[in-house]
Amino acid sequence: MHLTRQEEKMLDGEYGWANQVSMKILVRLGELFGATHLIPVQSAHLSGVSYKHMGDASIDFLTALAEGGGKAQTLSTLNPSSFDPTYLPKRYHRERLEKQSRIIDLYTRMGINSTLSCTPYYLRKPGHDQHLAWAESSAVIYANSILGAWTNREGSPSALAAALIGKTPNYGMHQAANRQPNVLVKVETSLQNEAEYGALGIHLGKILKDRVPVIKGLHSPSTDNLKQLGAGMASSGMTALFHHKTRSEKEKLETISIETKDIKEVAAGLCTTNEAPDLVFIGCPHCSLKEVKNVAGLLEGKKVRKDRELWVCTSRHVKERAKNYVDIIERAGGHLLCDTCALVTWIKDLGVQALMTNSAKTAFYAPTLNEVDVALTPLNKCIEAACR
Amino acid sequence: MKGRSIVPGKCTGPALVSTKPLSFLGGVDHNSGVIIEKGHDLKGESVKGKVLCFPYGHGSTVGSYVLYSLVKKGVGPIAIVNQVADLVVVVGAIIAEIPMIDQIDIRQIKTGDEVEVDGTRGTVKVGGQR
Repeated sequence: MHLTRQEEKMLDGEYGWANQVSMKILVRLGELFGATHLIPVQSAHLSGVSYKHMGDASIDFLTALAEGGGKAQTLSTLNPSSFDPTYLPKRYHRERLEKQSRIIDLYTRMGINSTLSCTPYYLRKPGHDQHLAWAESSAVIYANSILGAWTNREGSPSALAAALIGKTPNYGMHQAANRQPNVLVKVETSLQNEAEYGALGIHLGKILKDRVPVIKGLHSPSTDNLKQLGAGMASSGMTALFHHKTRSEKEKLETISIETKDIKEVAAGLCTTNEAPDLVFIGCPHCSLKEVKNVAGLLEGKKVRKDRELWVCTSRHVKERAKNYVDIIERAGGHLLCDTCALVTWIKDLGVQALMTNSAKTAFYAPTLNEVDVALTPLNKCIEAACR
Repeated sequence: MKGRSIVPGKCTGPALVSTKPLSFLGGVDHNSGVIIEKGHDLKGESVKGKVLCFPYGHGSTVGSYVLYSLVKKGVGPIAIVNQVADLVVVVGAIIAEIPMIDQIDIRQIKTGDEVEVDGTRGTVKVGGQR
């Protein structure tokens, strides 16, 4: 890999330990994956925030980096944590909150914004063709496929290294040649709702491996539905980019056909229970303003049952713009939670055994990450179940 | 055996060999260095002071931080030998500053063998049982 003189000096430790170790990560990954040099990134988005997921071990490294002079060199944002500001702190042991605060403090000491959301693109939409270094697989696939930005699927440490250096090695999704579709997915069924879009994503993620699909047969899908599709693909597989706008292919691509029964099978396979839910969870990935509005519309004049909880998770940024809808949701007895979601907090410790969600990504992960049973069903049914 | 250099550095120690992929996050206790991954063939073994040989890593990228923490606490492996280097283990070995090589047929190494790892040249020398 070609390095500038300044990059060489960083690698040799002349700019402190944090820069040196970050540079070592970027250069080694670049060499292993065939990068020629480092390119500047417009933003970095970091996973590895929730204490539930990170545990104590990560605190050691973050402390060393912060003490070693680490400072973000590009706009940098954080994934959700294990707590919202007001509701969950009352429900767990204090030590967990302290550990979580420590992790966030270490990041903010390094100049990283505590946005605590998996949808940084609602806060600041990256431009077409901008290079990014994002972790959080659902945000990566959204940025590449829907916004036309360029980012690899970074892991927690490589996104952090890119934030501190402000650059990333130019391999993978940063090369135009690697972004060309090489498999055609023909959807020969009409997808009914966001849960079905997510289920299609889970199905495709499992069979696509590292290929880049062009998906045809989606009838003017909303960006919210595409968000569910992408989140599903990125959860069950390694997909970082899909194409969906109809375009003529020069070469004939291998074709995968998707029929109604495929979607039904996958959606059914993601459900592990028919039991009534203890928790109904909307907002994986974090809700857009439109999605919060939809929830409020369905909840108007209703009450969430006393023996069930409804969580609607979003970013602080969206919450501030959704004041009226938030009021409706909270008046109905639902919880509008910022900075967190059901996957990254200890819902089992809250007594949750059965979770209902409209997110295929949550349905895919919750049985293992949270050890709860799951039912996947569209938003209107979720709200019905919460209030019935 | 000649493989590929991933992280430079040299060391010698006893091998701990697995035929199964390993996840550091949730798979290794970060305080004791004992492998706790369910159904793993090394479950209950400690990685402390070992040349840890396994096919490849899997699981969350937060696993890199666990490897760092193990090594800094003195309960981590002294080197890593993989068949295929994956991102989580590569980054973990870089930040923990322990030698690592890949593209090695780890079936030729047995647990307990005295192994010399040269991460700079990408070689592994297997001595006898200690």
